[in-house]
Amino acid sequence: MNNPYYPIDTVLEDVITETPTIKTFCLKPVRPVKFKSGQFMQLTVPGVGEAPFTPSSDPNITEKMEITILKTGKVTDALHELKPGAKVGLRGPFGKGYPLEKLEGKEVVVVGGGVGLAPMRSLLYGLFDDPSKYKRISIKFGAREPAELCFKRQYNEWVNLSPNIDLTTTIDIPHPEWDGKVGLVTTLLDDLDINIAESYALSCGPEIMLKFVTLKLLEVGYKPPQIYLSMNRKMSCGMGKCGRCNVGHYYLCVDGPDMCYDKIKHVPNVFG
Amino acid sequence: MRFIDSTNFERLLKKLSGEGELFVPVLDEDSQKNHFERVEAFPLPEGTNFEGFRAVETLKGFAQLVRSMVARYPTEGMDEMDVAELLPTFVIVGAKACDVRAMQLVDKVQVEGEFTDPFYKARRDKMIIIASDCTEAGETCFCNLLGSNPWPESGFDLSISKVNGGYLLETGSDRGKAIEEENKDLFTDPREGQEKSRDEIRMTVLAGLKATNRDYPSGDKVTEPLREALSDPLWHDEAARCLECGACTNICPTCYCFLLFDQKDESGEGYKRIMSWDSCQVTGYARMAGMGNPRPRLSDRVKHRLYHKYDYLVLSHGEIFCTGCGRCIDACSASIDMREVFGRVTKAAK
Repeated sequence: MNNPYYPIDTVLEDVITETPTIKTFCLKPVRPVKFKSGQFMQLTVPGVGEAPFTPSSDPNITEKMEITILKTGKVTDALHELKPGAKVGLRGPFGKGYPLEKLEGKEVVVVGGGVGLAPMRSLLYGLFDDPSKYKRISIKFGAREPAELCFKRQYNEWVNLSPNIDLTTTIDIPHPEWDGKVGLVTTLLDDLDINIAESYALSCGPEIMLKFVTLKLLEVGYKPPQIYLSMNRKMSCGMGKCGRCNVGHYYLCVDGPDMCYDKIKHVPNVFG
Repeated sequence: MRFIDSTNFERLLKKLSGEGELFVPVLDEDSQKNHFERVEAFPLPEGTNFEGFRAVETLKGFAQLVRSMVARYPTEGMDEMDVAELLPTFVIVGAKACDVRAMQLVDKVQVEGEFTDPFYKARRDKMIIIASDCTEAGETCFCNLLGSNPWPESGFDLSISKVNGGYLLETGSDRGKAIEEENKDLFTDPREGQEKSRDEIRMTVLAGLKATNRDYPSGDKVTEPLREALSDPLWHDEAARCLECGACTNICPTCYCFLLFDQKDESGEGYKRIMSWDSCQVTGYARMAGMGNPRPRLSDRVKHRLYHKYDYLVLSHGEIFCTGCGRCIDACSASIDMREVFGRVTKAAK
C-alpha cells in the first residue's frame, strides 16, 4: 500500500548554524526526493511530530535536501537539538511550487525576510538554472539584525552568476557592525529601478511582513496578479484534507503554498 | 423494483451478516431516537427500527474513525499493511437520505482528486449501505431546504421503503444488484398499489418537513448572500452565543477535518502516527508555530465553518457540504440553529 502518512526514512547528515536561531539541516533520504522550487515537505522528528518546511536547497539535487529552520515550536525545538546521524522522516513534496514558467522574460523581484529567506533560496536555485531566461533577478533580503541574515556566505557567489542578478539587504534596527541599509525590508522596495509592468514580485516571510510588502508593492504600482506570497501556514496532511491551511476555498498545501495575491485578496484574515 | 416481506428481509440481513459486521438502527425508548447498534446475534435486537428519521450517529464514523493509527515508524507494519485486507465487510442498514448523501460528499474529498486517503477508501470499499426512507421528519430535520428529499435517491447499494408487510427494494449499485441476484428467492414482484402506497408515505413526510421549515429560507440558495455578508456583524453575534465546544463539527456528517499527531508506541522504540477528528471551531486548530493564528477570534472560526460548507466547497467541489440532517442543531448547547443562520445571512445580504 502506498501510505501517504508514512515518512521516508531520512538521515540527518550535517547541521549548519546560519544564525543564533536558524540552522540548515542537511538530509539524506533513503531514496531520492524530486521536488520543485517552492514545494514543501513534512519533516518528522520521530516521537515528537512533524511540521511543514520548504526546502532551501537546489531542486536539481534529489539525493540530498537542505531545509533551513527557525527554532520556534515543539518540532523545531527538537530538531535543533539533533546531532548528525540522527534519524528523521520526510513526506512529500506537497504543493504546486513557484510559477517559474510565468517568470520567464520578466523582471523578477524576490523579497525575503527572516527565515523566509529559506524558501527563497530554493526559488533562486530554480531561477539560477538559467538566469538568461529572466530580464532581471533582483533579490531583496531583510532581517532584524546582521546576525540573522541567512546564507550571507553565498551572496557574492549568487550575484556573480550573471550580470542580471542584483542583491540588496537591510536590517530592521541600527547595529554597530552594519553599514548597509537600515529599515524594514519594504524600504528596499522604495526605489525599485525596474519596469513594474513587466515584473513579478515573490515574497516569503512572517505574515505581518507579507502584508506590508504587499501593500508597498501595490503602492509602487504592482497589480495583484503580479504578486506571489509564500503562505506558510499550519499544514498537516499536505493533501487538502485535514483542513488546517484553508485560505478561502484554497488549501495552501495543495494550491500553494505560494499563492497569487489576486486569488486570495478578498479572503478574510488573509494575512493572519 | 422488488418486494421483500419482513421475515425474508431478516433472513437477508442474517445472510449478509455472515460476510461481516452488521449495524442496524435501534430506537432508544427514552430519547425516542435511533442509534446504530452492531448485531451480535439473530433475531435482530429488540427495538430495531428502519423507520423514523436519521440515527443520532453519522455514517462518517464508519469510514473515518474517531481515532485511528495511520502509520508506525520505523517501518515494521503499517507501510506494507494492506488495510483493506484486514477489514471485515460491514453492512449498515437503515441509513437515511441525508447520511447517504453526506458520504457521497465526503467521498469527493477523501477518494476523488489528486490524493486518496487509503484508510478511508479501504473502509468505504468494505461498506455496504442498505438505505431506508424516512417515515417521519425530526423537528430539526431540514433536508428539504437543501433541495433534497427524505428518501434516498443514490449513493446506496440497496434501499428499502416500508410498505404493508415488508419493504419495496431498489438497487443502487452493482454490488446491490449482485446481492439481489444472489438472494432472488427472497423477493417477489411488488403487489399492485404498493408503489403508490410508498409514494403517499413519502409525500406525507415531505409535507411535514415543509411545514416544519416553512419559516426558513432555502439553504441551497445561501451561497450568494453569504458572499455578500462577509463583513456583517452577524458573525460576532453568532460567536457571542457559541460555546466553542466543537459538537457541531463532530456530529456533522460532512465534516471531515482531522488532526495528525505522533506518540510513542508500546515498545518505546517507535511511534504511532494517529489520525483523530478535529474541529475548526477550536482556537488551536489553525495555530502555527510561534503562536500565529489566521483565525484568532471565535467569530472568525464560526464564520469559517459556515463559509467552508456553503461557499468554499461549492467553489472547490461544486456542492454545498450540508445535507440538512439537523444534527448540529440538536448538538448545540447554545441553541444555534442553522436554519435561523440562513435567515440572518439572507437578510444581511439584502
